[in-house]
Amino acid sequence: MNFISLENVVFSYTDDENVKSEKNAVDGVSLNIKKGEFVALLGHNGCGKSTIAKHLNAMLLPDSGRVLIDGDDTSDEDKTYDIRKKVGLVLQNPDNQLVASIVEEDVAFGPENLGIPPQEIRERVDYALKAVGMYDYREHAPYKLSGGQKQRVAIAGILAMLPECIVLDEPTAMLDPNGRDEVLSTLLKLNKEKNITVVLITHYMDEAVLADRVVVMDSGKILTQGTPDQVFSQVELLKKHRLDVPQSTELANKLCGCGVKIDKMPLDTEACVKMLEEVLK
Amino acid sequence: MVRDVAFGQYFPGKSLIHKLDPRAKILLLIGFLVIIFCTFNYFSLLLVTLFTALMILSSGVPAKFYFKSLKVIIFILVITSVLNLFYGTGTPIWQWGIIKLTVNGINRAVFVTIRIICLILASSCLTFTTSPTELTDAIERLMKPLNKIHFPVHEIAMMMSLALRFVPTLLEETDKIMSAQKARGADMESGNIIKRVKALMPVLIPLFVSAFRRAYEIATAMECRCYRGGSGRTKMKSIHMSKRDAFSFIALAAIICGVILCNIFIPAVI
Amino acid sequence: MSSVLELKNLSFVYGQKTPFEKRAVDNVSLSIEKGEFIGIIGHTGSGKSTLVQMLNGLIQPTEGQVLLDGEDIWQNPKEIRKVRFKVGMVFQYPEYQLFEETVYKDIAFGPTNMGKSEQEIDLAVRKAAEFTDLKPELLQKSPFDLSGGEKRRAAIAGVIAMEPEVLVLDEPTAGLDPMGRDVLLSQIVQYHKKRKNTVLLVSHSMEDIARVADRIIVMNESHLVMFDKTREVFSHGRELEKIGLRVPQITKIMLELKEKGYDVPDGILTVDEAFSAVSSLLKKEGKIW
Repeated sequence: MNFISLENVVFSYTDDENVKSEKNAVDGVSLNIKKGEFVALLGHNGCGKSTIAKHLNAMLLPDSGRVLIDGDDTSDEDKTYDIRKKVGLVLQNPDNQLVASIVEEDVAFGPENLGIPPQEIRERVDYALKAVGMYDYREHAPYKLSGGQKQRVAIAGILAMLPECIVLDEPTAMLDPNGRDEVLSTLLKLNKEKNITVVLITHYMDEAVLADRVVVMDSGKILTQGTPDQVFSQVELLKKHRLDVPQSTELANKLCGCGVKIDKMPLDTEACVKMLEEVLK
Repeated sequence: MVRDVAFGQYFPGKSLIHKLDPRAKILLLIGFLVIIFCTFNYFSLLLVTLFTALMILSSGVPAKFYFKSLKVIIFILVITSVLNLFYGTGTPIWQWGIIKLTVNGINRAVFVTIRIICLILASSCLTFTTSPTELTDAIERLMKPLNKIHFPVHEIAMMMSLALRFVPTLLEETDKIMSAQKARGADMESGNIIKRVKALMPVLIPLFVSAFRRAYEIATAMECRCYRGGSGRTKMKSIHMSKRDAFSFIALAAIICGVILCNIFIPAVI
Repeated sequence: MSSVLELKNLSFVYGQKTPFEKRAVDNVSLSIEKGEFIGIIGHTGSGKSTLVQMLNGLIQPTEGQVLLDGEDIWQNPKEIRKVRFKVGMVFQYPEYQLFEETVYKDIAFGPTNMGKSEQEIDLAVRKAAEFTDLKPELLQKSPFDLSGGEKRRAAIAGVIAMEPEVLVLDEPTAGLDPMGRDVLLSQIVQYHKKRKNTVLLVSHSMEDIARVADRIIVMNESHLVMFDKTREVFSHGRELEKIGLRVPQITKIMLELKEKGYDVPDGILTVDEAFSAVSSLLKKEGKIW
């Protein structure tokens, strides 16, 4: 069964004078995401991917079409908080989503809003901090943490609400390579071990490669989707839309171009070395 | 650097003072601050000073942080004590032109200095041993009766805790913006007052713009985490008064009695 | 060739004589030639940010000297502002420093501080806008009405407009999408080609550094650990990995291929280089023509 289901969603922003923009930020997107899936949403700034993210937890409602979360329509106001509890949203700037001055108190913010009894909040906070590997920092002040650590605390803050799905809107855009690795391995772990559905919005191809399914967006529409293999083997299409492809894939594509037979597009270093060895054998 | 200021810093710990109910701590502090300014002779002053020292020692926070908090106000301290020194009444014991030194002046200077030091140390003791969340939580609870007259207690407390959370972040940001403008040749260290205020605009405007952007993003993040005001909220760290708190109130009462007794039986010197 | 910047035993200690004392930069000596494109790599906290801020006198070194055109920049501390005009510095997320009513005025902030004449300022602003590909009609707009990428470019133009001899950029492409990164990087390369001045680029993206830098400064734990030609630095892939840095993916692929005994050159930097290396091997074996 689909956990998230977008049916022909159209949305355009209104400006300060309450006039709808003529250009649709999201222009007829239909997308289904199953429970436990790891989906990467890829595209340029302004392609509509962040707008989609805000539709998944009822922060935005579609102009037309509908969004169903676990069978509930996001436009049903009685369900808003149920939906936000089920689908947690992590934003880009780690600084601006930590609201308390102590790590554990920040993680407790969500459950406190849900009216959970204190003893259970304590358990959830400990569980969430352990799950992202930040338990030892529970008494630290957020501003003293590195970017990657802050973002992990933000994930813990969502996790403490015991969501079924986490949506992340470019969570690594402001992080250094180490911070990015920390966040990604945390996400993979949560997806594999706790079976949490992950929707990762990113413009880094090497992050999208980790997903079960990649959805590429452009100008508010879905350009193409499939497994990372299927998507990244369309090198020409991606290049035409000025999205970059991993260097390993680009090399393979060039070799294909002069007649070398390659069965499977290599997406990472290891696969590429293997592929080259096979070709050179 | 701006961010070196030890403002409202919290040092996690397990000392007696850490464990006190934050509401009790706030009430105790208010009581103590009043009593500091009711000292009129050296015995009561000594009593208050000793109590402050006891507080610092039992807080388990290294003394150097207390000194750091004093460093910030050293300027005010010097100015007020010098002013008091020369504005005493009574017969001068030393005079040079219009500047005269009296016994009363010296006494006043000593009292003012020690009172301010005790005030700062006692307040630091509260912020050092109480997390900002606990603090605002306590204020929220203490002000709860005001809810009846539709005073937005929860909202005020939330704003306070957010402000405390973002002070270090904004200080860091100020530092960055200042460096960036200096790199474009902004001159913030010379010129008269008007010129200096003008020179601050390139720092203040970006700072405000970024504060608004942050506020917007924080609001979004809070909504994403199901925030919908104070009703129906619970707290992870529930606070309740215990024997410890009763004991600390008794200690404060003892100090108050001591100071009053001193004031009755020993003549005032200021 | 004459060196434009020379660092002699440069050190910086934070919070000297306090319990928080920390050596951020330790005894760095190096010299940079006029017109070079230098990449600076090192992970967060390696001291690279402190290092670059010493180049234009935003941070005064605790020991050692920075020589700009052969002269110690701290010789006359009152004149330090002049150094900042010669060594232009673009900070991370520079769009957050925009403050004027119009983009034009904002770009003119630096040149105005230099005390240039109105005509000179106008010329400098227009040239800088051209380098960063800001359309003339944007100049009269409020900087807060621009798109993210335009803001970034306007902020960079504000530094370029001072016409510095040395341009330092601290992660100019951070947070941009691939297209934005590409465009900005090629603008910087164009700027370097046309102005023929010295550019220092701090970046976490090894792919970007590999594409543009002549030489690379590698910082680790406040020390200078390598300063050499780009190809040379990236052929030490294993050593870089030891200090937690990576090499471009394509470099790594070819390095592993070489370690498996294939005859490919050291320090391959781009996909094109890798392609020609592999295809020449294939040709040798007659697998392609």
